Amino acid sequence: MKTGKFLMALMGLLAVTSPVWAAGKIKVATTTSTFASLVKEIAKDKADVYFIASPNRDIHFISPTPKDVMKVKACDVFVHAGLDLEAWRVPLLDAVGRLDLMGPVGERQLDMSKGISLLEVPTSLSRAQGDIHAFGNPHYWLDPVNGKIIAENIAEGLSRIYPQDADFFQKNLQDFERRMDEKMKDWENWVSPYKGAGVVTYHNSWPYFTERFGLVTLTHVEPKPGIPPTPKHLQEIVQIMNEKKGKVIIKEVFHEGRAPQKIAKETGATVVTLATETGEVKGDYAALFDENIHRLVEAFQKGGLTR
Amino acid sequence: MSFRKITFFFFFLLCFVKCSEASEPGLESLQREIHSLTKTMAQLQSTVRSQTEVIQKQSIRINALEQGGVQPKETAQPAGAPKMTGLSGFNPEIGVTGTVQTKLTQNSSDTEGNDTIALKELELNFAQVVDPYSRLDAIISFNDAIENQNVSIEEAYYTRWGLPFGFTGQIGKFRSKIGKENLMHLHQLDTTDYPLVIKDFFGEEGLASSGARLQNTIPNPWDIPFEITGEVLRGNNGPSFSGISRRPIFNTHVKTYFDLGKDANVELGWTTLFGDENPPINGVTPAQGQDRYGVKVFGGDMTFNWFLPEGRKLKWQNEIYFQNRTHLVHVNSDPWGFYSLLDFKFSPKYSAGIRFDCVEPLDVVGQHTRTTGISPYLTFWQSEFADFKLQYSHLEPANASQKTDNLIMLQADFLIGAHKHPVQ
Repeated sequence: MKTGKFLMALMGLLAVTSPVWAAGKIKVATTTSTFASLVKEIAKDKADVYFIASPNRDIHFISPTPKDVMKVKACDVFVHAGLDLEAWRVPLLDAVGRLDLMGPVGERQLDMSKGISLLEVPTSLSRAQGDIHAFGNPHYWLDPVNGKIIAENIAEGLSRIYPQDADFFQKNLQDFERRMDEKMKDWENWVSPYKGAGVVTYHNSWPYFTERFGLVTLTHVEPKPGIPPTPKHLQEIVQIMNEKKGKVIIKEVFHEGRAPQKIAKETGATVVTLATETGEVKGDYAALFDENIHRLVEAFQKGGLTR
Repeated sequence: MSFRKITFFFFFLLCFVKCSEASEPGLESLQREIHSLTKTMAQLQSTVRSQTEVIQKQSIRINALEQGGVQPKETAQPAGAPKMTGLSGFNPEIGVTGTVQTKLTQNSSDTEGNDTIALKELELNFAQVVDPYSRLDAIISFNDAIENQNVSIEEAYYTRWGLPFGFTGQIGKFRSKIGKENLMHLHQLDTTDYPLVIKDFFGEEGLASSGARLQNTIPNPWDIPFEITGEVLRGNNGPSFSGISRRPIFNTHVKTYFDLGKDANVELGWTTLFGDENPPINGVTPAQGQDRYGVKVFGGDMTFNWFLPEGRKLKWQNEIYFQNRTHLVHVNSDPWGFYSLLDFKFSPKYSAGIRFDCVEPLDVVGQHTRTTGISPYLTFWQSEFADFKLQYSHLEPANASQKTDNLIMLQADFLIGAHKHPVQ
């Protein structure tokens, strides 16, 4: 009898209560803080946005928490990177148990990789190549031009789900695109003296960024994606950097610093930590590139690179 | 006014009306044309933009080739949902996980695994969506044990999403939602073996049982994650619920979680199990007069995670269990036990930790009769898919007739194919 009453009370609680998202707003759960900031660009105050992956942690190895399950379970729209970057996404959605959020056809999930021209699509798959990504390099948001495509995907998805606000989303999209076009001129101006300069990156996260801004990736600190560097590989990097006069090593905040510092000591290079998520710079999507290009230019200047 | 003037007036009036009528459709038509031209202009702008993109990318690539260096290859293939060819897209995701263990021990008993190297476990896992509402996960395990070499169903359960009130249901065989370690397979553990309290209460590799499970997250006004799980499991499972029982084991688990700043969190859980003891009396089973649900197990778990700079992580995990039971099968009617584990991932390649165990076992009675153990360990992460653990364990048994044991275990875990662990 007591158990029955408890169960009835529980059912009642389930039926009438809902988690605390902001009332009257579109509840959007995103996998990353970058997608969250782009949702905010398009939806402005109409959306309450929650992101899962802490910006200071490696997105490949996030362990979703009970809070993430709770938030995604109650969201209206789920925004994700698609492809196979977020290996934890499927177990998270299994725990959430909502059919409308499950890819690829869930009507309330938005895949941000739609329309992106992918780089480094592998022609064969083997773990002998390390932790490669089967569909192509998934770090596409690090090209600001792809940021516009992501914003278009968000606007299109939100417009489909909320057609009454479609004009609002489209207007904000156009404003965002205009601002990005303006900022792009600044960024290209800042980087242009260093076009063609060689960089070493810790993980292969930066091909979209380097291609956009005309930089050359000499090699990576990881001998293969996801494989920690060996002493022999570090020596090979030193040799390459000395030959090609590479003066900058790019790492991310969650990468260890010992290997890059060791290389820097032997080559006179500068180690620079660049942000991969807007949450690291505590600003919007444009601020991500403002900060990264500023740090990169400083690193080039420290390395004595001038044109 | 003359007739002529009136006529001209009406004539002009008629012309005016006719012109107005003629201009309305003309105006609409003009508006439509302007709208159409605007759309065409937008499309042309988009085309010019993408062509400019292509030209820019090619010129960057040419510059880079002239400079030398690693160049990303581009494909014209746009992203979005991956393309599958033919019926192979319906095949399940398949993965294989292997665990090879070497154990050196002072224990002179001829127990399986002592002073030998063995393929402890080879798991073959399959997973795939069944239909828009459900999925199936199955893990079949093989081992190379001499006495018990066998194939067994480690787990095989069907998950149904979207049940009323947001519940998710599972039926089949699964690892029971007891605490934290019981949910994990051997290769997932930080250590080379399960904690003593789990082994003593639930079996050498914890409790996995056929049954049914319902799980949900309870919404609440305080925005605190609160997960509840209820299970009905087949009886006669594990040391605590031994014997033949037609009555099931009931398990409930509740879990909550708190962020402690942006780099730390704590998870708290509570487990309650009820089951039968089924003592054989006079060699006849099922026994008469046995207490219904005479075995009650209560457990609490706490896990603290602290994410440190440069990818390092500290985890402190604890579980404690109490039982209240009759002593018709096991002599101890109030067994209890706990473990505390500290794990530190201090580099991409290494993590180290230590586990302390203490248990008053089911089969030993007497004042302060406890088995304790301390197990430091070191893990080398060759990659995400292969790791090697070295563990030393010092055990002080509760049973006075047993000697202190010192063990060294070396374990290799490796996996191929698809392998996703459920959210714990």
